[in-house]
Amino acid sequence: MKADMNLNRKLALLLGLSSLALGACTHVEPWQREVLARDDMQLDANAIDTSLDDHIYFSKEGTSGGRGFGGGGCGCN
Amino acid sequence: MAQDDKRIGASLAAAACGLLGSAVPAISRAADPAGNWDIDSAFLYYGESDGRVQDLSLTAIAVRDYGDDRKLSLDGTLDTLTGASPSGAIAADRPQTFTSPSGGGTYTTPAGEIPLDSSFHDTRFALNASWSQPIARLYTWNLGVGLSSEYDYQHAGVNSGLTRDFNERNTTLSMALAYGMDTVRPVGGVPIPFAQMPDADGEDDGGEQANRSGSSESKDVLDVLFGVTQVLGRHSLLRVNYSYSDSSGYLTDPYKILSVVDPVTGEPVVRTPPPGAEGPDGIYLFEHRPDSRRRQSLYGELRQDFSGKVLQIGYRYSTDDWEIDSHTLEGRLRLPLGSSSYLEPHLRYYTQTAASFYRYSLAGDAALPEFASADARLADLDAWTLGAKYARETAGGSEWSARLEFYHQVSKPPAQTLIGNQSGNVQMPDFDAVILQFGYHFKL
Amino acid sequence: MGSPCEVLVDSAHEQLAQAVASAVAACAQRIEQKYSRYRDDSVLTHINREAGSPTEVDEETARLLDFAEQAWRLSDGKFDITSGVLRRAWTFDGGTRQRRDPVLREVLPLVGWSRVRWNRPWLTLRPGMEIDFGGIGKEYAVDLALAEATRLGTDPVLVNFGGDLAASAPQRDGRAWRVGVEGVSTAHIPWTLELSHGALATSGDTHRYVIEDGERRPHILDPRTGEPVRGAPHSVTVAAPTCVQAGLLCTLAMLEGAGAEAFLERERVRHWVQRD
Repeated sequence: MKADMNLNRKLALLLGLSSLALGACTHVEPWQREVLARDDMQLDANAIDTSLDDHIYFSKEGTSGGRGFGGGGCGCN
Repeated sequence: MAQDDKRIGASLAAAACGLLGSAVPAISRAADPAGNWDIDSAFLYYGESDGRVQDLSLTAIAVRDYGDDRKLSLDGTLDTLTGASPSGAIAADRPQTFTSPSGGGTYTTPAGEIPLDSSFHDTRFALNASWSQPIARLYTWNLGVGLSSEYDYQHAGVNSGLTRDFNERNTTLSMALAYGMDTVRPVGGVPIPFAQMPDADGEDDGGEQANRSGSSESKDVLDVLFGVTQVLGRHSLLRVNYSYSDSSGYLTDPYKILSVVDPVTGEPVVRTPPPGAEGPDGIYLFEHRPDSRRRQSLYGELRQDFSGKVLQIGYRYSTDDWEIDSHTLEGRLRLPLGSSSYLEPHLRYYTQTAASFYRYSLAGDAALPEFASADARLADLDAWTLGAKYARETAGGSEWSARLEFYHQVSKPPAQTLIGNQSGNVQMPDFDAVILQFGYHFKL
Repeated sequence: MGSPCEVLVDSAHEQLAQAVASAVAACAQRIEQKYSRYRDDSVLTHINREAGSPTEVDEETARLLDFAEQAWRLSDGKFDITSGVLRRAWTFDGGTRQRRDPVLREVLPLVGWSRVRWNRPWLTLRPGMEIDFGGIGKEYAVDLALAEATRLGTDPVLVNFGGDLAASAPQRDGRAWRVGVEGVSTAHIPWTLELSHGALATSGDTHRYVIEDGERRPHILDPRTGEPVRGAPHSVTVAAPTCVQAGLLCTLAMLEGAGAEAFLERERVRHWVQRD
């Protein structure tokens, strides 16, 4: 239990440091998330548009994906 | 009940009344947002220039929150495709005749035009379901399945992932795995690689044509994804994904062909079908792609709020062992108009380098390469998308939207794939397309 | 108040929104100045300094004391505004707490509302006793602020003082206010509630806690014995018509320890308990 928590802390610290290294990263407290919580700031905000577009680009271009999973294949590429 | 005697609710309400004096509200209404279905639906029209492909599709995504961060997502798509696609054969300065995939007849392309195969009218149905839930403090797990089916193609897939939060949700790491299995049953059977397009047998009965190796083939795809989402500040968010994809099995397009051309002139050679038979008047060979494709890609997306306007920029780099390298740069800017509607312009640029086995055509006197395809989607390619979306919220909290986009694609064969005098008159099946979408987002 | 305070006004009139914001801010500041334990010039500090002799309190403080007395009675002594001095008997050493028994023995006689003489408007504390309005003060400020806001206009208002909230009405388009409840312990995924009318209060271990057996536990003491409450949940959120009611029910639920859910079920209030 304790060793596990230490590892988690070290991992969190490492990630925290590396994210700081990304530069200009400020830590946002839970009560400061009013902008980040808006629907239009979510990564899946345009989910249906993106999924329809991805399907079109998948059948018309040579590369596909990269964003995430979900969505099937089709006989078009 | 003795239990009820211990209730302090009423006395507490009275005490509160005494403390606050007048104007103590009598009601309280607080609830979990769980129990609602959040449904996003869209109707889309896609149409290419010059009488090529047209597609109509209907999609809906329904999400239900079961509380405690447990979510179910279901989505379905129905689409119908009509029209003609380039077959891979090149234009000639004479009319060209080809056998249709079913073998039931032939079709002729006028001189100077890129041959298009118009025998497909297909309806596709796809269904996906996924579930996500927390499995421990800071860990969320998700599982998804997907199916899709059309006349000659079936897909089944499963995916699962794990995310972990750090730094009070300022950083999230995610990992996901997906496995898919696809089966193709081409009209007329699976062609033998580099076999010649046969003569028509006059029967449109879906039976196997000559030069086929069987009626169906399959492929497996394994995808692995690692992602980091990092909050950069109160107004911005960054997501970076690395993904690796391994496809193996039948990756060839069973309907695509290559023209065999004269090594000096670069013109397609002429063939005369046997007497009494109808068939191709040139030598056209079925394509052949490798049976494995390994691809890696790096994707980054930034979301930035500027006092209510949201800028989204995404970049993806992809490279694979077919030597197709691509860059995609995409941006959207959401501009609120008043408090209930917005306009969102969108711009996308895509560029790719040709596959190592891409050929514009094959020389009549040369030995066949191990793999070859004349599919323009595997050539050097650039594409632009420019469009905008307009959305309006109704009084009840639903949203109507309309999206119009223009797509322009230009492709080019690498110089070394040209034969004879072809460099003077290369014709690639470049096209423009329009995308028109109407959407309705509501809660049940 | 020790936490960020905000008010949301759903209105088309900027002037009204400004007026409401000013009124709410003024209310928060006034209560803070009057009842903060940490301010030298507050009414509360003055009362505590006068322990040993009778002190005359103003009308508003008298009503708060009446409410505190009611709460003490309704909770069989578990809720007691004189219990603050018990904190002197506990020290924290890197997250583990140590009870200093000699200090506890000295301090226990200074705890207990039964030892207070409350004859409106005269309050007499025994020497060494202290009162504080933790568990009532901030919630009272929320209810007061909301009342002020609704006096100024009919547009929907949501008052939020550090996680204790009250709403006068849903937003103009009919949708409820979406409230994020701060996660438990190591900031587990925060979850959302929809509030249309009334109040929400949350009591939890995110700020004052101890680590016991590798688990984070809230530091809650039973004023009757000075002992920590066993089996208290990580956090409790309660919905009630007023914030003082919600806040008190929250505190009482925590004091019930393992019986928190049973207590709240009996009271038939909407509640969310996080254990983990």
